[in-house]
Formats: sequence, structure tokens, C-alpha cells
Amino acid sequence: MIRYVAGRLLAFVPVLWVVATLTFALLRFLPGGPFDKEKTLPPEILRNLERRYALDGTLTEQYVDYLGRLARLDLGPSYKYVGRDVSDILADALPVSIELGLLALLIALAGGISLGLAAGARNGSALDRSIGVLTLLGVSAPSFVIGAGLILGVALGLDWLPAGLWEGPLYAILPALTLAALPLAYIAQLTRAQVVTVMDQDYVRTARAKGVSEGRVRRHHVLRNALLAVLTYFGPLLAMLLTGSFVVEKIYAIPGMGRFFVTAVTNRDYPLVLGVTLVYAALVLASNLLVDLLYAWLDPRIRISGDER
Amino acid sequence: MTGSKLAGALGALLIAALVVVALSGDRLAGHRYDAQDAAHALEPPSRAHWLGTDALGRDQLARVAEGARVSLLVAVGATALALAIGLGYGLLAGWLGGRVDGAMMRVVDVVYALPDVLVIVLLIEVLQVTLAGVPDIARRVAALVVALGFVGWVGVARLVRALVLQAREETWVEAARALGLRDRRILLRHVLPNIAGPILVAAAFQIPAAILAESTLSFIGLGIQPPFSSWGTLASDGFEAMRSYPHLIIFPCLAILLALVGFHLLGETLRAVLDPRRRL
Amino acid sequence: MQPVPRELRINLETEPPSLDWSLATDGISIIAIQQLMRGLTRLGRDLRAEPDLAERWSVSPDGRTYTFSLRPGVVWSDGVPLRAQHFVDGWLRLLAPETAAEYAYFLFPVKNARAFNAGEIHDPEAVGVRARDDATLEVELEAPLVYFPSLVNFMVTFPQRRDLIERHGERWTEPPNLVSLGPFVLEEWRHEYRLVMRANERYWAGRPALDRIVAYMIEEDSTALVLWEQGLLDLVKLPPLEIRRYETRPEYLRQPLLRGYYYGFDVREPPFDDARVRRAFALAIDRSVFPGLLRGGEQPSSSWIPPGMPHANASLGLGFDPERARALLREAGVDPAKLAPVRIVFNSDQTHKLVAEKVQALWREHLGVRVELENREWKVFLKELASDPPPVFRLGWGADFPDPDNFMNLFTSYSENNKTGWANPRYDALVERAARAPEPAERQRLYDEAQTILCEEDVPIVPLFVTASNFAVAKRLHGFVPRAMDQYFFDEVSAD
Repeated sequence: MIRYVAGRLLAFVPVLWVVATLTFALLRFLPGGPFDKEKTLPPEILRNLERRYALDGTLTEQYVDYLGRLARLDLGPSYKYVGRDVSDILADALPVSIELGLLALLIALAGGISLGLAAGARNGSALDRSIGVLTLLGVSAPSFVIGAGLILGVALGLDWLPAGLWEGPLYAILPALTLAALPLAYIAQLTRAQVVTVMDQDYVRTARAKGVSEGRVRRHHVLRNALLAVLTYFGPLLAMLLTGSFVVEKIYAIPGMGRFFVTAVTNRDYPLVLGVTLVYAALVLASNLLVDLLYAWLDPRIRISGDER
Repeated sequence: MTGSKLAGALGALLIAALVVVALSGDRLAGHRYDAQDAAHALEPPSRAHWLGTDALGRDQLARVAEGARVSLLVAVGATALALAIGLGYGLLAGWLGGRVDGAMMRVVDVVYALPDVLVIVLLIEVLQVTLAGVPDIARRVAALVVALGFVGWVGVARLVRALVLQAREETWVEAARALGLRDRRILLRHVLPNIAGPILVAAAFQIPAAILAESTLSFIGLGIQPPFSSWGTLASDGFEAMRSYPHLIIFPCLAILLALVGFHLLGETLRAVLDPRRRL
Repeated sequence: MQPVPRELRINLETEPPSLDWSLATDGISIIAIQQLMRGLTRLGRDLRAEPDLAERWSVSPDGRTYTFSLRPGVVWSDGVPLRAQHFVDGWLRLLAPETAAEYAYFLFPVKNARAFNAGEIHDPEAVGVRARDDATLEVELEAPLVYFPSLVNFMVTFPQRRDLIERHGERWTEPPNLVSLGPFVLEEWRHEYRLVMRANERYWAGRPALDRIVAYMIEEDSTALVLWEQGLLDLVKLPPLEIRRYETRPEYLRQPLLRGYYYGFDVREPPFDDARVRRAFALAIDRSVFPGLLRGGEQPSSSWIPPGMPHANASLGLGFDPERARALLREAGVDPAKLAPVRIVFNSDQTHKLVAEKVQALWREHLGVRVELENREWKVFLKELASDPPPVFRLGWGADFPDPDNFMNLFTSYSENNKTGWANPRYDALVERAARAPEPAERQRLYDEAQTILCEEDVPIVPLFVTASNFAVAKRLHGFVPRAMDQYFFDEVSAD
């Protein structure tokens, strides 16, 4: 077990290296540099800047330099935010995204699983149908549609909750709901489908026929299978929620990390782009590992081989 | 299953309606999508302009229809691309197996580990430059198709590979081999048709995912650019004015919502028919 | 959600890239720095340089040496008195090549400053700035420059504390390291989220009326506006399309800016290598449509020096005259029907898009030419302008200091910001002479002549309009007066 985990962790390194190299190459292919501005800089000033940020060497030199620093876990300085290191920026932004992401995850899991269980248990009922419509809308609505709706309705119209900012629990509700809507709906659909399938299986029928209590059947068979289904979706979801969403952070003015996936590229802030990419990649790899371990724990039939889906 | 068929019919109806609107938008609206009319700017829905007009006095219905053309084109294109790459890659990896498969799956891991948004943003910008000389709208659409196709193919590849691995173990494949049929023939004539159902279902769900991605990208200003519009661009313009002119944001959002609901319903039905083992 | 008394909550829109006034270059940083710091002079409401940290100044008869006498009793927020050496330190730091300050060129008029910045001379003593004593700063210029006192209202010329920068390194701008001498001091900086500034008890002109300024970084104007409606913000800029709804309300405030918006031609390539063609395209633009289209208080302007700037002259430039435009095209031998589509390239933005679509329609209607629009992401656009400018492009220019030289210098043949490829020695000479001319009447004449060349004869650019800022201001605020240079002095503001 420990050897397995260690092996998987070790395998992160080459993946991260390839990710860094790919991103580096793509970035440098983009025209325009970090110091191209509306007011063009005189050449002597441009040279000073390039020297300061070690952009005056050849591309290979810069690449080797960057990898060297990376090996020492130094992500380098940001070009846009003078005097701030990429690690400072991430240390500020990542916790906010994680906080919001965990809240959204909680809402999505709790809401999704309970809606799914409720709908699946009463297959075909009016409740099932209304939940079906709701989840269908949930998987169909882009976050900006939900965000705009909530800001107009709940913030402006009803004036119940603030339309943005990050000042405390009250301020987290609307963005967390916006972020959670799609995964919640999807988890509900997954859970419902599992419940319907499992309830139909022979062993559940047998258990029921034997007089095993309904609650026990549900706990033992239905819930476990539903969780296993949700788990396959959990890996990508975790990384996505924890690193923040550009749209949600932008429309609610939340100081998270999601914005950098876009703004760092448009600013040509090369080290920051590489920094957020590596954090994201590491999180994806880690959550996949976590999912595989949870799998093994929830379903003893699955041996760990890292080959699931 | 009647419920599912009804849902499928509803989905097909929604999509058909959107396609009709997309194809006959200007005629339906009675205005060209780029015809400006300063005297009638920012009007709410009326009989002359069913969905109102925008800041330049352009008919919002014609704009939404134009947006439908672009959004649907991007979504179908991206899905086709993702399907083509993913299918080839997955078939190869699954069939060859062993070390080749292992190496090919590491590549998939890397692509998975890259943040989608960032890859899309980078690819769009790189393609903008590579395709210089191509008309603006074609370049934008092509860039989006390639970028969305690129993040979409890995999912398809994984699915296809898993299906092929499964099929390889089936007795009829062994039998075909024993009969001395060539690999390529077995793969294309026997394995592929056998696993086509789940792949089609996956493709059906790839389309709404691509619409969602495209509209989000355009909403944040990275997708389709004026004077052309997609639903995301229109929604983004509408967001800027949502206090004063709600019709500018409501209708494009409604179009996105209806399209996605339609494709999801259709996908569900396809799944019920083609891939009965897996409900989701 | 009751507003806290005497607190001002504003929207900065984005994170200020830097609060180091030697390194900051953008409008957002300037808004914050302006509350924290002060310079030798400040601009009055009439845009004239007024004494600030300098109580008075004098200029030598040859116009090359300025002597500033510092106001007594000014102290930094840590209690250290302001000395002339702090200016010398700040200016030398700005100019030192290793600082890599983008706005170092602001001080290039100072003797040897450019050579020192380029690393051609290494002796800081050779740079024309010194502290004659603690209260007297002496500046020697390369050549006379009549607007020099206006220049030193700009943040890059503010004094610096070398001791603190050396002690804290690059983190000197983080609270509590940042020491300043303006009406406010920095209390908190949550990056990408908000800045909090509190009243400076030691401010020389007396503590400001406000206790605190909280400056949020809300990118979406629509979100900020809803927050304003909810009473969570006191001051926001209005998104263009929302202006009409607020125009009639007492909370609405409009301030025209010294910011010009223009279309430029690449004069090296046909058809725009012919001045007649450029004049024709300029004459076919009906500028009166822009205010109604953009709704942001834009003011059409056919001349380049924006109204409100000294020596502006609104009567110059080419107005709307489609007849003459078509005649000019014929004269130049251009058949609109056979002309390849004209490309307008702009950077992706709602306003630029609307303007381009309008210009496209105008040129199509009045000249009969086909026009293609292309937009680029900002950085790509800038790269393209620098390497291979498109036939027609849009750009803007905001005043850094309130002197026409800031605008007119832009299109000299040696300006890095002149993307048109246009060079006219007569224009260059006029602009250079005007920068040195002490007589206002003489300057007016020189600038009028230069503007005639720029906007009527050679027409490498077509000025379209100057922009304005539109605010919603909470009723509880008093004394908020924005400036035409997009400057804000919140020490003038009080809150109920």
C-alpha cells in the first residue's frame, strides 16, 4: 500500500515536467510580451526590464533557468505584479479558492446525493419527475446564467445577500451556489441512475424478499453503489472546484486563483501561468490518487492497479 | 421507456427549432443580424423586434439566430474533432495494449493534468496567430473548434480504449482471431460496430458540453468576437447592461438553456436505446 | 449592512500592479498612490501646477534650471522630516538601469538622465538633480521645458525613502512597511481583493475628514453597480449602457477626461500612402454619432489636443463632408468599387467594437468602400502595431501631465508611440519649439500650425472623440470632484 502510494507520487514528477515544458513552449509561441503596453517603452528601458527578469537569454537558457528554479521549488517572480513572487500570489489566492470550492463541493455532494436518492427511491413519481426537470436545468445552465440570475434576483431584487465581495460567510452563499449548481445536478442524476439500477438487481430483491429491513437495504447496497458512481466523477470535480472558476470569481469579485488561468495569459505573465498550471496539475494527480484509494476502501472487489476509467 | 421517448422527442423538437431559427434567422426576424438602426437602439421586445434591439439598433432575434449558427457550428465541429482523435487513439491504445497502451495513456494523463481553461486560452491565441490571413470569423471558429476538440478528445479516448479492452476479452474476438482474420478487419468490422453505441452516446453529450464551453469562453471575451456573435458574446454584452436592459441578457441565456436541455434530453434517450447497461 | 461612518468604499476595478510610485505605470495604481503620496506640485482644478510639497519655485533666465523650495514641517508617516535628498534619491532610483522603471523617460528632460538610464554614464552626480540643502531641490534640464512644473506633479517624481527600500527590499510597498506622506497611509493590502487606507494623522495640511478608504477590486462593473445599489459601495463608475438610467438622478456625476480616441493609418502602404485618401476617409466620418452610440459623455473632436487642455483648438481638423471626401478619392484616382477591402483592427472591447462597426457603416455609406473588421487580444494587437501595423487601427491616449506636448509629441517621427510610420520634419520642429516656448501666445501659434499639419493636411490619424468618466456617487458623500486627468483627491471628500 505505502509502496503503491509512493510509486504513484513518484510518477507525478515526469508528468509535471511534461506539463511545465508544454506550457512553457506554448506560452513562448504567443506573440506579444509582458512589457508591450499602450504606451510603448523606449528600447533602453525595455532592455533594463528584460535583464531584470532574465528574459534576455536565449529561449533554451530561459527554459533551463526556469527548470532549475522549479527543482528548488521556486516559481519565480511575477512580471505583472511588481515585487511579488508567484508563490506569494498563489499563497493568497489558493486558500480562497479552496474555501469556496470545498463549500461548493459540500453543497453539491449533500444536495446531489439526497436529491438523487429521493428521486431514485420513488422512480417515476411526481417527485422524481420534478427533480428530473430541476437537474436537467442544472446540468444545462452555464455558471454565468445562474450567476446573473442570482445577482439580479437575490441581490438586487430581494436585497437578501450581497452581489459580490468576500467579507464573510454571507458573502460565500451566492458564489458557492453558482459553483455547485452543475455538479449538484450531475451528481443527482448519477445517484438516481445508480439507485434505480441497484433496486432492480437480484440481490436487492432477494434481500427484500428475505425480510431485510428497507433502511438496511438502502444503507448497505444502494448508498454504497451510489457513492461508487459519484466517486468516478469526484476526481476531476475536486481539482476543478478547488482551483476556482474564472467566471464565478469574476462576476462575484472573489480573490481566488481561477482568474489567473486567463489573466496571466493575457498579461503574458509567464511565471504565473506556469505556477497555476503546475498547481492545477498536481491537484488533478493528487485527487485521482485519492479517488483510487477511496475506491479500494469502498469496494474491496477492486484491487488497486490505477486503471479505473 | 415511453417517458424516455417523449423526452427524446421533446429534445429533438427543441434542437430542430433552434436549427430552423439558426438557418432562417434573418428572414424570421425581418432584419439582417448586422443591420444597424440608431433610431431604434436598445428597444425592449416589440412587434417589429420580437426580442428587442441592441446598442446599435440591431435586431436581437436576428443576433440570437446568428449566435445559434456560430455556437452550433463550433459545438458540432469540436465534437467531430474530439470524436475523430479520441476514436483513433482509443482504438489503437486498446487494441495494441501492453506497453504501447501504457505510454499512450501517460499522454492522456498529461492532457488531463493541464487545466482546460488555460489550454483553450493558449490554443486560441496560438491559432489566432498561426491562421493569420484567414477571415476573422473563420479563424475564431477554427480556433475554438481545435481548442475544444483538444480538451474533449481525451475523454473519448479513455472510453473507447476501455470498451476495446473489454471487447478483446470477448469470446467472439478470440474466435475471429482463430479464424485467421486480420487485426484491422476485426477491429473495424467487428469490434467497432459492437462498441459504437456507447461512443455515440458519449458524442451526444459532447455537443452540449462544447456549447457550454464555447458560451463560457465567449462570455469572458475569449471566444467569438464582434461583429460576429455567439450566444456567449451576446450574454456578455447583456451582462454589462443587465440593470437597464434585461432583454439583452435574458434571451441569449434562454437560447443556451434551451439548446442544452434539448441536447441532454436527446442524449438521455440515445443512452436508453443504445447503451442500456449504463444508465449514466 | 449599514455603512460605517466616515468610511469611503470605492471600486478600483483591478489590482494595482504596484504601489511603488517609481515602478507603477497604470491608472489604477495612480488612484491609490495619489492618496498616499504627494509631489512637488499638484494640479489645480484649472490644471495649472500649484505648490504642494514645494512651497514655491523659480526658473533661471535661460530656462534650464529649476529651483524648488520645500514646504517646511512636512513629515513622513513614521515621523521622519521630508528632505530634498529624498527627491534626489527617488529620481536617481527611477533612472537607475537596474530599477528597470518603465516611466523613467518622464525624467529624460533632466540633464544626463537618459544617458544614465541607458547605462552610458554611471556617475549619479552627473545627473542634473541635487539637494542644495535640506529644503532646496535644484534641477538642471537638458533644454528649456516650460511645462516642467506640471511634470513634477506625476507620481514617478515623488520623493523616496532609500533607507526603507533598502531595509525591506521589494516588499517595501506592503503594509506596514510602506511609509508615505500624503493624506492617507496604507493599512491593509489584500492582493486582488482590496486596499485599505487610513487617515494620516501627520499629514502636513491636517488630517483628512475621512477615517478610512476601502478600495475593492471588482472587475465587473455590473456587479459593482449592484453593490452600490445595495449600499455596499459609495462610488462606482457606471457601465456605458447603464448611464441613461442614472443620468437624471442626483447621484450621477460626469467628468470629461483628457483622453483622446483616434484612428491611425499605416501611411507606408497603399492606399493610405496618399494623404488625399487619408483626408477622404477622415472627411467621411460623422463624429456626431458617437455620443449617442457610446452614451458615456464622449465629446467629438476633430483636433488632437483635447478640449480642456491648454492650447487646444476645437476649430481645427477635418469635419464631416462626404462630398469633398468622394471628390478627394476621385482626385487620388481611387475607385472605391475596385479598392480591396480596408481592414480596421482594434483590440477586443465593447466600445472599440461599437466604434469600429459604426465607422465601417459610415465608410461604406459615404465612400462606397468595403471595410473588414478584425479584433485582437490586447497584447497581440500591440505586437502587431509595433511590427506590422494594420492599414487602419484604433488607439487612445490619456494625459500623463496637462501639457499639449504630452499629446503632440506622440506623432513626432522619433516617438515610439507613433505607429503610423508618418514622419514630417516640419511637424517635429514645431513640436520641439513649442515645448521650449515660454510665451503662451507663441505656443498657441506653434501648436495650431502643428495640429493643422496633423489633422488637416497629412492626416496620419483621425481624432474621433475625447472620453469622459461617469460616476454614481452615494448621497452621503460630499466634496467629490474628479479631475480631467482621471485623478482623485479623496482628502477633499467627507462622508455623513
